[in-house]
This record gives sequence, structure tokens and C-alpha cells, in this order.
Amino acid sequence: MTDSLVQTLSVLFAAVVFPGGIFAITLGLALKGFDRRVFARLQRRVGAPLLQPFYDVLKLMTKRTLVPENANLVVFLMVPLLGLASMGVAAAMIPIPGLYDPSPAFGDLLVLFYLLSVPAVMLMLAGSASGSPFGGIGFSREMAIMLAYEGPILLVIVSVALKTGAALGQPICLSLSEIVRYQQAHGAYLFDPWMWPAVLTYIAFIPANLGISPFDIPEAESEVLEGPLIEYSGVALGLLKLTSAVKSVVVIGLGIVLFFPNGPEGLFGLVVFALKCLVITVCGVSVLRAAVGRMRIDQAVIFYLKWPELLGIASLALVAMNL
Amino acid sequence: MNFLSRMSKKSPWLYRINAGSCNGCDVELATTACIPRYDVERLGCQYCGSPKHADIVLVTGPLTARVKDKVLRVYEEIPDPKVTVAIGVCPISGGVFRESYSIVGPIDRYLPVDVNVPGCPPRPQAIIEGIAKAIEIWAGRI
Repeated sequence: MTDSLVQTLSVLFAAVVFPGGIFAITLGLALKGFDRRVFARLQRRVGAPLLQPFYDVLKLMTKRTLVPENANLVVFLMVPLLGLASMGVAAAMIPIPGLYDPSPAFGDLLVLFYLLSVPAVMLMLAGSASGSPFGGIGFSREMAIMLAYEGPILLVIVSVALKTGAALGQPICLSLSEIVRYQQAHGAYLFDPWMWPAVLTYIAFIPANLGISPFDIPEAESEVLEGPLIEYSGVALGLLKLTSAVKSVVVIGLGIVLFFPNGPEGLFGLVVFALKCLVITVCGVSVLRAAVGRMRIDQAVIFYLKWPELLGIASLALVAMNL
Repeated sequence: MNFLSRMSKKSPWLYRINAGSCNGCDVELATTACIPRYDVERLGCQYCGSPKHADIVLVTGPLTARVKDKVLRVYEEIPDPKVTVAIGVCPISGGVFRESYSIVGPIDRYLPVDVNVPGCPPRPQAIIEGIAKAIEIWAGRI
């Protein structure tokens, strides 16, 4: 009885305070602040203060929340909550190497894969529930690009799971903690040339999932006025911003766990984890965002169905050959 | 001022309404935001596409009869608290279009204007000063 109570409480703590919830929100907003600063510096501007995303979210909490006349009230207001809740749980499923090991109650890599697609589905619902034509366009674009990037990421996850499983003498290993433990003992997959196609696929997956240029097509602010977010204001918009901040931590954290989880024990491991997140944000997000323009939706879908998909299949084939 | 309003003061999001402007002021607004010399992002500002995300609304143009209803409707869509800044001489007096048959302005007949930034077009420095003043007014309303 007490054991199950303790377990429930620890799972709740992991989802709401650390490493999901409050911790993931703080880390995500800080990464976003760094991203905006680096982006401005690349354009030779001064840029916003590092804490700007925190100010933005606090500001949105003081504003009035408007609901459009022809919106579906319940869906419109539930979507930001569900998105944030799913991402809080997803962030609690990411092990922080050397410091935090998720409870088995959270489920395995496949559950995380499904949770990863929840915010995208919520964004689609937000667009369609808002009753705005721009929201509708955002909805259809989000759906198209999601169908394109889900395939490659599943191939990457299966490659890593198969490789770890073969090394541990199981058919497939879907436990994130075991993947981390194996890599800490036998070296990171990032330095294994056989895994490089999978790493490349994951790098290509990050901007599409996070909605970053050149794949910020569903939320293109200069064409469809932020698409699904157009009708949101006040607290609801703030929650959507928090969702995207936590999502960046989850996606980047999953990349670190799958390919390069090695780090020191204890609190220092947390610092190393945050630094890795920062490096990926600066190299994979800010520089990319400053360097390229936005693709059209058909170009993006064809790109994903061609190159990352091929790389994903190649990585699966390479892993299968080495089994 | 409490904690929330002190924090909010650092995050004013801007929205531009073109009320029949000749585009001169709009170009200056774009300059204010987009080039390194006059970066308004350092004040925490950000141009947003949707009126529902905005805090400070920048109105350009003399308010022509055709766009009056649309401008008023978009203005209604901006959630409170909000601050209005009239950019350029047109929304203030009509400028060179004054007393034209197609002009229903000045704009303060229909909207409460908080800050006037005169000029044809105003310099980016003047626009930034106007935005800074609007932020002060806005902080008092949160």
C-alpha cells in the first residue's frame, strides 16, 4: 500500500516538478532565450534579453483570453492544457544520464514516440477548433508535415532499439534507461560510423518537429499569421508557448539519450545535459534558422519522404547487417 | 507595481494597422524592427501577425472611409490592456490627405490614441521613443 503510494507520488513529482513540468519549462524557455539571442547576433542585432521568453509567458498570463464566436469553446480551451500535460509526462520519461532514471511506470520508447506526436495533433485541433481560415490552413500543413516526418523518426527509434537489444541479448530493447546504461558502458552511438545515418535522420527530424525554419510551414507568421495560434490570446497562448518550450527539451533530450548520453554522475550530469541541449539548440536551431528561408509545404514533404526516409531505411539496414 | 506587471513591461508585442497609409510609415516601421541599427527587439518588442497576440498597436495612415470599419473591428480584437500609438502625421491630422472626400480621420475620433509620433514619415528614433513611451503607459494599465 505505502509502496504504491510512494511510487505514485514519485511519478507525479517527476511529471510536475523534475525533470518534467517546472524544470523542463525553465530549461526550454532558457534555451529559447539563447536561441533568440544567437539568432539576433547572427543578424548583427543586439537582440532580446536572455530572459525574454520568461517575460513573454508571464505577460501572457496577465492578458485577457478571447474566444472567437465560431470556435468550439471546449476543444479550443482544452487543447493547450492537454498539449502541456502530454509534454510534461514526456519530459519525465527522458532519463538525465547520471542523475535521473525514469520509473518503469512511465512506459517505454514506444509510449514516448506516441506522446511526441500529441502536441502536433493538439496544434491541428487548435487550428481547426479556432474557426479561422488561417487556422485551417495551419491544420492541413501540420498534418502533411507530420505524416512526412513520423516515418523517419520511427525508423531511427527502431534502429537504436534493435542495436541495443542485440547487444544485450534481447530481440529489441525499448527501455530508455537500458539504452543509456549500455552506451555509458560501451561508448556512445554518436561515435559509431554505422549509426551515422540514424544521427543524420534525427538531426533532420528536429527542425520539422519543433517548427523551425525551413520547416516552420504550419506556423509561418508571414504567410498564415502563426496558423493554428492565430486566434489564441492570453493564458491559452501562454500555455501553447510553454508546450513548445517543453517540446524542444523533449526532442533534443531524446536525441541526446539515443546517441550521446555519456556524462558524469550526480548534479554535474545535469549541467552536462543542459550544455548538450544548448549546443544542439545553437547549432541545430539558431544557425539553421538564420541561414535558410522557409520551404513550401510540398517541398518539405518531398524532402522528408526522400532523404531522411532513405537515411532511416539505410540505418535500419546497417543495424540489421551488424546484428 | 506588482511582480507580474514589472515582468510584463519587458514584453510588449507590437501590431501594425495600416489605415490607408501611403506605406511610407510602414517602411519606417519595418526599418525600426529589421535592421541592426534600430533593433526594437532589445526592448523585448516583437511584431506579431495576429491582433490577438498584441499589446501595443501602431496605427499608420489617415483612416480612409473604406477601411474605417475594418480598422475598428481589428482594434476590437486586440485583448486588453492595450495602448495605441499613432505613427506619422496622417492619423493625427490627415497630413497631405486632410479634408479629402475619402478621409474620415483624424483617428482619435474613433480610437483612444495614447501616443502621437508626428512626421512624414517619422524617423526610426522617434518611433522607438514613441514605443518606449507607450510601454510606460501600458505598464500602468496592467
